[in-house]
Amino acid sequence: MTKQIPRVEDIETYAQDIVDTVREPLLMLDITLRVRSANRAFYETFQVTAQETENQLIYELGNGQWDIPALRRLLQDIIGTSSVFNDFELEHTFPVIGRRVMLLNARKLRPGSHAELLVLAMEDVTQRRRAEEEVAKATKASETANKTKSLFLANMSHELRTPLNAILGYSEMLREQSVRRNLEEFGADIEKIHAAGKHLLALINDILDLSKIEAGKMELFLETFDVSGMIEEVASTIHPIVEKEGNTLHIERAPDLGVMHADQIKVRQALYNLLSNAAKFTHQGHITLQAGRELMDGSEWIVFRITDTGIGLSSEQIVKLFQAFTQADASTTRKFGGTGLGLALTRRFCQIMGGDVTVQSVPDEGSVFTIKLPAIVRETNLDAATAAVTALAALASAEDGNGDAKESSPSGNCVLVIDDDPTQRDLIQRFLTREGFHVRTASSGEEGLRLARQLRPIAITLDVMMPGMDGWSVLVALKAEMVLRDIPVIMLTMVDDPKRGFTLGATEYATKPVNHARLSQILRKYSCPTPPCPVLLVEDDPAARGAMRRILEKEGWNVTEAENGRVALECIERERPRVILLDLMMPEMDGFEFAARVRRRPEWRLIPIVVVTAHDLTAEERHRLNGYVETIIQKAGDSHEALLSQVRDLLNDCAPPRALPVPDAVELHLPAT
Amino acid sequence: MPKILLVEDNEMNRDMLSRRLADRGYLVVLAMDGQSGVDMTKSLAPDLVLMDMSLPVLDGWEATRRLKADAVTRSIPVIALTAHAMSSDREKALEAGCDDYDTKPVEMPRLMEKIEALLRKAGKEVPSPTETAL
Repeated sequence: MTKQIPRVEDIETYAQDIVDTVREPLLMLDITLRVRSANRAFYETFQVTAQETENQLIYELGNGQWDIPALRRLLQDIIGTSSVFNDFELEHTFPVIGRRVMLLNARKLRPGSHAELLVLAMEDVTQRRRAEEEVAKATKASETANKTKSLFLANMSHELRTPLNAILGYSEMLREQSVRRNLEEFGADIEKIHAAGKHLLALINDILDLSKIEAGKMELFLETFDVSGMIEEVASTIHPIVEKEGNTLHIERAPDLGVMHADQIKVRQALYNLLSNAAKFTHQGHITLQAGRELMDGSEWIVFRITDTGIGLSSEQIVKLFQAFTQADASTTRKFGGTGLGLALTRRFCQIMGGDVTVQSVPDEGSVFTIKLPAIVRETNLDAATAAVTALAALASAEDGNGDAKESSPSGNCVLVIDDDPTQRDLIQRFLTREGFHVRTASSGEEGLRLARQLRPIAITLDVMMPGMDGWSVLVALKAEMVLRDIPVIMLTMVDDPKRGFTLGATEYATKPVNHARLSQILRKYSCPTPPCPVLLVEDDPAARGAMRRILEKEGWNVTEAENGRVALECIERERPRVILLDLMMPEMDGFEFAARVRRRPEWRLIPIVVVTAHDLTAEERHRLNGYVETIIQKAGDSHEALLSQVRDLLNDCAPPRALPVPDAVELHLPAT
Repeated sequence: MPKILLVEDNEMNRDMLSRRLADRGYLVVLAMDGQSGVDMTKSLAPDLVLMDMSLPVLDGWEATRRLKADAVTRSIPVIALTAHAMSSDREKALEAGCDDYDTKPVEMPRLMEKIEALLRKAGKEVPSPTETAL
């Protein structure tokens, strides 16, 4: 039996059929970059014929319109090194079809019976990129619009109040006169003018307060005051309202209530709002105000609980309750009056003081509103704190009805803390909160990733050693996602002593082989004021070093190479680089020890380090790394101040523009992703 | 009849407040800017000054500082009238030497309480409510 040898023509037809089935345009090139063949998708996408394409040099296609230096260099690099390139993003004006964004992948085929060949695959991502740009533009526009709206309202409210005050004042005078001159028949009408004016003024004042909060201009006037005394004052003011509907007010004060340090006017207003709300929605029932002092998370809180036996709220109503301009039911406004802003304001007031309001309710049985406020409200960076509240508020109103509003608060100035240790989490959270950052925490890598997607924080602090998914895996996952990869990540791990910790300061991370687009995208964040700027490339593999050097030089950087951490340290002594690109696995001194040493020198601490490593760290490698980091930690620890200064500098240097609270400081380019 | 100097640049506010004070048995004199407020306090020696804070020529804070720096006028009580609940304005008013403050729009019963308290403290006469039928 003789074995049938397939004919070469058959094999070629077979191969061509497969290639033609692929939906991405493909070009087969020889090593002189002359087109051997193309697939059907190529002809269709670029609207050219086989005659115009085959046997042409790639840079001669379309009368030279395919002469793209960057592409040519990349292809030539592959021929030299027998390697591949992945996901090179190219924006170019092509013949016939015009300007397109193409994602290019190329590899050199394994040598066989055929001549040496390159395959270049192209994916048209123009639509996707345009859509992403549109989204980014729209997000920015809506943020700007929201801020403008708040400023407008703040100014407008002021303008509205002046004439309104005249209406109120004169109607009051008329009322006084009507009493004095016994013209009681006018009294009722004048009273209506006055009441309507007062309602309008309350509305304007609430709007002004809300827009002040949203514009980040709400100030806190902190003072120490007697809680019991304040409650008495509120009670006496609220009494007529309580009695109007035949209700009784019962006040219970804990014996250890004592004093609190807060904005008294805002605490009072919050209590007043909740009590008048309770009174409004309760008929011939009981309203109870309980006040106590509680110890939670190691600090003291003042808790006010307002219970009523009123009409209660459905769960749908509760969801909308704290949003501006949405009373539980639109008809409520007509039936019960009120601005619809009271609860929204109450919550914002509590939030800017570091507390919150919650509600529990059963329809037809009543509601319980609980205010929790720190016994000592700290003077924080209010602009930052209010920005966080603003972001929350904006989201809450945009979400409309999604009960999970708080869960999905957006960035504002949100920092995500991922750490499995509750003590550390709490410590970092309190520390950053005190500095005015809005902090969210995650207790595992998985949760961290989920929250990162949801919150898009302006920075992430990431614990290295966690059970399950550890810090390195989380970092890899973060940097693999388009929407997350530009968020600066601070790797840190802590020793037993909670006052001492250690940050690795890995602010960036890229996988090998490094693709050009990704690297230049990262480097764009560390803009060079007067090019060429020095960049230090720490990498033991000469080939990888060479490839990266070419990319860097093309981007206008002045490259210094070091083959391990020790040499790299010597290089920094000589010249301080603007950025360090760091391989992790190197002989003599590896990336982690190097990073640790750099971070230990105050004058070097702020040099951004871009960690460049293999895509998948094996479990064993990670274990080795963690162990290594642990030994470093025990040698030296950084204080929390160091961590904070890193967060601050990161945010100043490279936060995406949306993250910066001060508009003047915004850099106006968005990352190209 | 106790004499009150009202320093206020807004015409309607001036008109309303002066008439309501007059209704309550006070003699009201008016100044429209901070500088004339200071000058008139010196020349007319009122029993109390109601001082708006945002005033032309010389603002209310500076006018108060000058009154409190002058031995002749130092003992005359000054009540600052500030815009709605601006805590920084309140702070600044007290720092400038104001004896009390109230927010605009004024609520007459509350303002009257403050005026009467300061007058009593200074040992001045306070018009009785029966006199004014209010």
